[in-house]
Amino acid sequence: MRHAVADSLWTIAWRRLRKNIGAVIGMVVLGLMVVMAVIAPLITAFEPTTQILEYSVRPAMFRGNVLFKRNPAEPDRPSIVAVTTWSLKGDSVHYDDPAGEPYRLHISQMHGTTPDEWHDEPLFILGTDRFGRDMFSRLVYGMRVSLSVGLISEGIALLIGIMLGALAGYYRGRVDDAIMYVTNVVWSFPTILLVIAFSVILGQGFWQAFVAIGISSWVDIARIVRGQFFSIREQEYVEATRAFGFSSLRVIGRHMLPNAAGPIIVIATAGFATAIIFEASLSFIGLGVQPPTPSWGSMIRDGYGYIAIGTNVGMAVFPSVAMALAVFALNLFGDGLRDALDPKTMQR
Amino acid sequence: MATYLLKKLIYSMIVLIGVIVLTFFMRPPGDPARVLLGQRADAESIAALRERLGLDQPIPVQISRYVLNLTRGDMGTSIATNRDVLETLTERFPATALLAVSSMVLATILGVFIGVIAAWKANTWVDSTVMGISLLGISLPAFVVALFLVLIFGVKLQWFPNSGYITGGWEHLVLPMITLAIRPLSIIARVTRSSMLDVLGQDYVRTARAKGLSAPSVFMKHALRNALNPVVTTVSAWFAGLLAGTYFIEFVFNWPGIGLVVFNGIEKLDYPIIQGVVLFSAVIFVVVNTFADLLYGFIDPKVRL
Repeated sequence: MRHAVADSLWTIAWRRLRKNIGAVIGMVVLGLMVVMAVIAPLITAFEPTTQILEYSVRPAMFRGNVLFKRNPAEPDRPSIVAVTTWSLKGDSVHYDDPAGEPYRLHISQMHGTTPDEWHDEPLFILGTDRFGRDMFSRLVYGMRVSLSVGLISEGIALLIGIMLGALAGYYRGRVDDAIMYVTNVVWSFPTILLVIAFSVILGQGFWQAFVAIGISSWVDIARIVRGQFFSIREQEYVEATRAFGFSSLRVIGRHMLPNAAGPIIVIATAGFATAIIFEASLSFIGLGVQPPTPSWGSMIRDGYGYIAIGTNVGMAVFPSVAMALAVFALNLFGDGLRDALDPKTMQR
Repeated sequence: MATYLLKKLIYSMIVLIGVIVLTFFMRPPGDPARVLLGQRADAESIAALRERLGLDQPIPVQISRYVLNLTRGDMGTSIATNRDVLETLTERFPATALLAVSSMVLATILGVFIGVIAAWKANTWVDSTVMGISLLGISLPAFVVALFLVLIFGVKLQWFPNSGYITGGWEHLVLPMITLAIRPLSIIARVTRSSMLDVLGQDYVRTARAKGLSAPSVFMKHALRNALNPVVTTVSAWFAGLLAGTYFIEFVFNWPGIGLVVFNGIEKLDYPIIQGVVLFSAVIFVVVNTFADLLYGFIDPKVRL
């Protein structure tokens, strides 16, 4: 028999979340993306920056034929030679390059010791880009950028937003007025323009993009936290903590914040999705993460020219679909979370 | 009522001052003159540029000069083109406004319509399809929507041109307008739906039904009217965000509005132009929102308290 003790908010929310098909789909897609991003080196044939110029702009499911030549400068990164045919005759490797020119290499010049090590017929599932780089590899490594931008930028935004919102909601009065003034000023700027402006100030790059997005996106969080704190502060248990003489920091951190966690998590999920869009927008216009680091935004930009002429559309379409999928999954999950944590619809 | 309006207006003015000061700092860090001229520039030309841009003055002096110049309508001069920033903006604004307003009208009408249908058919397949598609609409950044629309309607079906301005015919407006409308349309549809559902659960709606009024009449006359308040907020709040979205669309469709100016400016670190566009967009946002607030004061007596 079950105890009469009420389940915690989180247990109930989790149970409701699991019943929400959309949220479950969102979680599964996100989970898969995170796994792919983590094990990226294991599932990609080439590094995202490896160029095979002979294989520039190949369609999806293109199968290459390459030899690996020893690279004395970097033993771990053999030079890649695209071939049409090749054969091993005694101590030398004979091959024709894509232009039909015959060449010969001594086996000591090859990477490794056996043909298995120096020859491969890699499959480019999503084709290649202008520089003959593996689109699939760029997509997966781009996912790393997008997921980390979501995580880190949203982390920065949460830090600023929670701090300011909590201070405003807890102390009210002058502190609240001052913080709300700053919030209103920042809120007046369209966020993407703020991100662009901060990117111009901070310069281009990986970390700059993270910071620019983070310090532009805290306003909604601050507003939500402030609103939550306004009502939580009236609760009896908060009154009790004050009667005990707890410090403000302890009351805010240990007693009030955990009770405002639901709405914060919901808005953080939405912010995660927005951060991904912002990063892609930044690299789409040439700010943010710089080449050759793969980013979905810059990949879409690279492929855009092909859209207008209607050939090789995959170069722009694949990263677009990947981004849409990631953001859609996050929003599905966020919507489910909101419903699951909404006390108005809460039933045991 | 008058005090309420006055308070709102004064606060908006104070916010505007903050906006201007923050905009002032949106320039390359350290010495902008050095950044603009590059590391190899000689000291003399850097000093000359510093003086021309007023960078040799202390920051407080620079800020007050910036504010003073703004009150005279002087937003500075573009570094790349040497043209007056305000002149460039006013010249480009009609194109941006045309795009922004036409897509907002489209988004509002269609969004409310779709939202009402979804609420009418709540918890049926119609509802869940509409909500699913609108969630997708929210998830897609404008340049991705643009990509798919261009590919389908511009390249494959060839119904509409891919780029260009209305001087070449009004059909040039179609794709950018629809692209820009997708996101606000999705949001308005969702807000309308949930607001309708809220209102439909109210006592006065039940009373209206109990009086024997027909369902469509209750739905349109009693519920929709009251459900539109949050929609007004959404529309006004979205308008400024829409402006920023417009800039991206202009970039993609080669639409000669403010967006093209700012993106050309970014490449050349033309910070007076960037500041000008950012400030311009923020001012429009503050003005639109102040008006929306005031409008609320008229519509809803509760707000005035």
